Amino acid sequence: MTIKKAVVIGAGVMGAGIAAQLANAGIEVEMLDIVPRNLEEGGDRDAIAKGALAKMMKQKPAPFMHKRNAKLVRPGNTEDHMDRLKDADLIIEAVIENPKIKSNLFKRIDEHRKPGSIVGSNTSTIPLETLKDGQSDALKKDLVITHFFNPPRYMPLLELVSSKDNDPKTVDRLAEFMDKEMGKTVIRCNDTPGFIANRVGTYWLTVAMGEALKAGLTPEEADAIAGKPMGVPKSGIFGLVDMVGLDLVPYIGKSLYENVPANDDFKNVHKEIPLVPKMIEEGYTGRKGKGGFYRMNKEGGKKQLEVIDLYADDITYSPIKEPKMKSGKRAKKGGLNGLIKGKDAESQYAWEVLKKTLTYAAEMVPQIHDDIMAIDEGMKLGYNWKRGPFEMIDKIGVDNFIKRLEKDGVEIPEALNAARGKSFYKTIDGTLNRLSVADGEYKPVERAEGVLLLSDVKRGAKPVTKNRSANVWDIGDGVLCLEFTSPANSLDPWTMKAINKACDLVESNKNGYKALVIHNEGQNFSVGANIQLAEWVAQGKQYWLIKKMVKNGQDTYKRLKYANFPVISAPHNAAMGGGCEILLHSDAVQAHAETYMGLVELGVGLIPGWGGCTEMLRRNFENKRRPGGPMPPLTATFETIAMAKVSTSAEEARSMLMLNKDSDISMNKSRLLADAKAKALKMVDDGYTPPKPATFRLPGAPGRAAAQLAVNGMFDQGLLSSYAVVMADQLGEILSGGHKADASVEVKEDDIRALELEAFMRLVHDQRSRQRIQHMLKTNKPLDQNKDFLAEDRKLEVTTSELRRSLKGSTSLTGALHKPSKALKKKLEPSFNAAALILKGNPENENKAAPTVIKQIVKKPVENKEPKEQPETPKGSKAAPKK
Amino acid sequence: MSDPKTTPVIVGYVRSPFTQAYKGDLKGVRADDMAAQVVRALLEKTGVNPELIEDLKLGNAFPEGEQGLNLAKNVAFLADLPKSVAGVTTNRFCGSSMQTLIDAANAIRAGEAEAIIAAGVESMSRIPMGGFNVSPNPELVERYPAAYIGMGETAENVAKKYNVKRSLQEQFAEASHKKAAKAVEDGLFNDEIVGISTKDGKTISKDGCIRPDTNAEKLANLKPSFSAKGSVTAGTSSPLTDGAVALMVVSEEFANKHKLPIMAKVKASATVGCDPETMGMGPVEATKKVLKKAGLTLQDIDVIELNEAFSSQSLACMHKLGMDQKKVNKDGGAIAMGHPLGASGARISGKAAQILQRESGKYALATMCIGGGQGIAVVLENPSAGQAKKPAQKKVATPKK
Repeated sequence: MTIKKAVVIGAGVMGAGIAAQLANAGIEVEMLDIVPRNLEEGGDRDAIAKGALAKMMKQKPAPFMHKRNAKLVRPGNTEDHMDRLKDADLIIEAVIENPKIKSNLFKRIDEHRKPGSIVGSNTSTIPLETLKDGQSDALKKDLVITHFFNPPRYMPLLELVSSKDNDPKTVDRLAEFMDKEMGKTVIRCNDTPGFIANRVGTYWLTVAMGEALKAGLTPEEADAIAGKPMGVPKSGIFGLVDMVGLDLVPYIGKSLYENVPANDDFKNVHKEIPLVPKMIEEGYTGRKGKGGFYRMNKEGGKKQLEVIDLYADDITYSPIKEPKMKSGKRAKKGGLNGLIKGKDAESQYAWEVLKKTLTYAAEMVPQIHDDIMAIDEGMKLGYNWKRGPFEMIDKIGVDNFIKRLEKDGVEIPEALNAARGKSFYKTIDGTLNRLSVADGEYKPVERAEGVLLLSDVKRGAKPVTKNRSANVWDIGDGVLCLEFTSPANSLDPWTMKAINKACDLVESNKNGYKALVIHNEGQNFSVGANIQLAEWVAQGKQYWLIKKMVKNGQDTYKRLKYANFPVISAPHNAAMGGGCEILLHSDAVQAHAETYMGLVELGVGLIPGWGGCTEMLRRNFENKRRPGGPMPPLTATFETIAMAKVSTSAEEARSMLMLNKDSDISMNKSRLLADAKAKALKMVDDGYTPPKPATFRLPGAPGRAAAQLAVNGMFDQGLLSSYAVVMADQLGEILSGGHKADASVEVKEDDIRALELEAFMRLVHDQRSRQRIQHMLKTNKPLDQNKDFLAEDRKLEVTTSELRRSLKGSTSLTGALHKPSKALKKKLEPSFNAAALILKGNPENENKAAPTVIKQIVKKPVENKEPKEQPETPKGSKAAPKK
Repeated sequence: MSDPKTTPVIVGYVRSPFTQAYKGDLKGVRADDMAAQVVRALLEKTGVNPELIEDLKLGNAFPEGEQGLNLAKNVAFLADLPKSVAGVTTNRFCGSSMQTLIDAANAIRAGEAEAIIAAGVESMSRIPMGGFNVSPNPELVERYPAAYIGMGETAENVAKKYNVKRSLQEQFAEASHKKAAKAVEDGLFNDEIVGISTKDGKTISKDGCIRPDTNAEKLANLKPSFSAKGSVTAGTSSPLTDGAVALMVVSEEFANKHKLPIMAKVKASATVGCDPETMGMGPVEATKKVLKKAGLTLQDIDVIELNEAFSSQSLACMHKLGMDQKKVNKDGGAIAMGHPLGASGARISGKAAQILQRESGKYALATMCIGGGQGIAVVLENPSAGQAKKPAQKKVATPKK
């Protein structure tokens, strides 16, 4: 039996989120909640479930991967619609954490469900044994705990608890469904309080808060030590409690306190922060309430982050000051040991938190799990820790850690004793092993079928080729994998070199190479071109080099697309700008469901120059569902790029035509590489032939004029900055095929690439583009979203046609070269100065010395007397595509 | 006395409900289907033998897509008119269906026809303003960009040039809604509205744009729609609208022969070009011109229908011409009713004729501004002014699909 239809009972945050994720997996869902109490006559009996669905449509980050998925969720109520259970294969309850209520609900579920359907409880605190109590044998047989983490779409962990009553085959089937279709990493847990993640996580939160109070630290100080430096999300401890809810954390804590064994250390550390009950009472329940330990004060229209005074008797907030802590630097330099080795209060706090948390985790073996890796995975996936507790101990060094524990008079847990003189993890013959605490032996880590991790491939292996920005790995069966290794996986000339090298290798057919996969396990697939590099080069006025880099990128991506072997990209998370363009030039994309891609170049004052405009135009042309006429493909492409649209999921990227018809989506990230490899091999087996370059019939100047008219209106409405008008016009010129294009003339892909390059160069010469690059480097946000800047920019008394003329080298619709006047420059000065003021004092932009490596690449060709590029003054004909 | 053989008269006026584009009840109805239902209802209401109809003249501002090909002839087929009836689609943007009325009147004056349907339709839901493939002439864009100026911008220009304050614009909009709401209450639209059948089997027979509760204070909270620094808002602009209108235009002789009650004679008409940047002022010269042709002054006019494209241009035109506000748009104007571009001219002409009858006035003026810089106007005359009221026309039946 496959799972095709599901019912979720309880439309609270968790229930609704689970329903949405089921819908994301393509499952039809009935979402039921109670009939509202005190319902007026004629009132809507489904109001609660309907309200939850409506709320999810607006929620950000969105629970649905695509708006249309909401149509798979039918809201209803538990009085009128229990009959909807009759054809459900999976029923999940996420109602209030009350054993009696749950018990009654299971009895009702049992009356209505079909035999053999799986019943899952999303309880985080009630043991399965308690849930089974008093239920029919049939229900006991099908009842498990399926514990999701909030938000269910984004948190990859699923804790699965089963009992001896279950049919193992049923549990396996459910686990497989959760893994492959829901994209969750399933950890089979023992039926112990809090399972894995909440057991260790709640202990950690409690200790970290308690120790902070003992040490007299403020929340922001504690978070600056026990957050990012420890490999925990930078929200830290207090920030995390704000997110989860101040009311919920004590609830889980209390439940744990009551259920853990008598000798459990949680009994000793469980203590309330004096101020918290008062905060909850007054509605300061965290982000969902009036604020928590932190709050965003929006009084007077300005946003000010404030922090609570933990040590006051009353609730008082004051503006947050960046704490001057040394922990960040220490961790950067010396890792965890660097963080804890000092003698000051900061190091002492870090040590106390780590000591207790890691020791507690060790004590939990084998109670909550006999495999240390399950505990590590649980903390990484359920609490977003960078490393699990045992990985942290390995970082500190097992013996080192034990020595310090002994010094503090701490009793050494069994698991730690078992690891004396060793480490918890060890690579043996290129395979990762972890220590089995029970027998002190190393056991290899075995991945499930269909799981291939690049980190496993890399372990003990050498790259086929590598340079400073990328590696190429042999992932078997004749498939090479290109991995970016540059900071934030940004793209630079070395990336291009590596891509070309990889192409050479596959083309040479050496070692039977026949396909290329582009994939990595970084935080993001790629943030795009290295704009810092471009900025340094531009500062040195080496525009010829920028032009070379753009052209080189175009040629490299073009090579990927037209190579005689399949190229499959397997992205996850962000794929921006140049990173998005690489996906657009792949034969197919095997995307993780959480892939956020977009051509965001206009945010840094540029246009996609590595073929992104060309490729999106082609896709919009080839879209059979578009309306007729020459304009719709242009308009659609223009909107996507001008508005720097970014998909909020892989599914949405498909709607935006950023994933082509041969592309697929993997729900589970750990299956991404294997799926991509399989796709590549299938393409080889099917007799791969490269695509043929397209030709277009583009409208030419009327298309650009139409874009101008639309932009004029938006500028008048105050929706665009002055420079956005300039950038949009350049984009309009590219997408319309240049002023000589016409419906009667065929334009080639290369002609559009040439237009991309010319427009890119015109923009990068302009100081306003540079300001946008600098602002992005400084703040990670587009200048055109800075309110202070826009306020000044909107004061300009300037027409849209003047703005278009203000870009050096730009041409009129009919191809005549514009000459920017001094008077016009003066008019635009206030906007330029406003941007300069915002950037002032920024060490990144003021003549910062370029790193030696940049100097090298800049210097070399100059010595070779590389012809210096003329400043960009394209004559009308130069910008025109060949006829 | 003019020759009844060549004197054009209006003997019938019907329209679909006017509903908001994209949101309203008619968003799912094609323009040709909507127009055909209105044409059929007009024939039913007037009882004119379709065999005697010379031509169906249909106004439309964006004749492409579903409004494309020769829309008029296809509407004639859809309305089951005899094959002998011709069809012509006319585009003068907002003035399109006032133009069909003028063309019909002129054909009768010339003795070329006895009976003509002058109609107009626009589905702004289904064919966007500007159409699907906006392809401006790049040379014209460079030489004279005003040719392509957006309507909102012209409204701002008029507001600025004639110093029409935002609060005045809002009061005007409120009055338009109040008058329209009152007209609904008094059943003044019952006689003209034709129920339109939709695909899902519903019949739509209520106007959808009128907001009885709106007021100047609420409108004052809206953001400017076209210019961040401007004064024109969505509340002081006519909404994007779906709708269709049809008039029966015949010779006086034809009317007498077939005992068709005459609503009004078409006495004179005029069109005129003006500055596109202040196209909203088009009615000023058009009105002057048409009054001169008719040998009348504004004082002679009892009923005025001035198309409310925007509050700003309506107010500026009224001020410039010295119009008596009380005579203008008695049943509400386009800000409340909606402005389906190709259909509005026929609506305000039919409405003017209807009010002339209702109030036994002598002369009526209908005039409107046109995007791109034009004005258009007609003067109607009530031949029975001062006489006892004639019995009301037959009730409109909902046409069968």
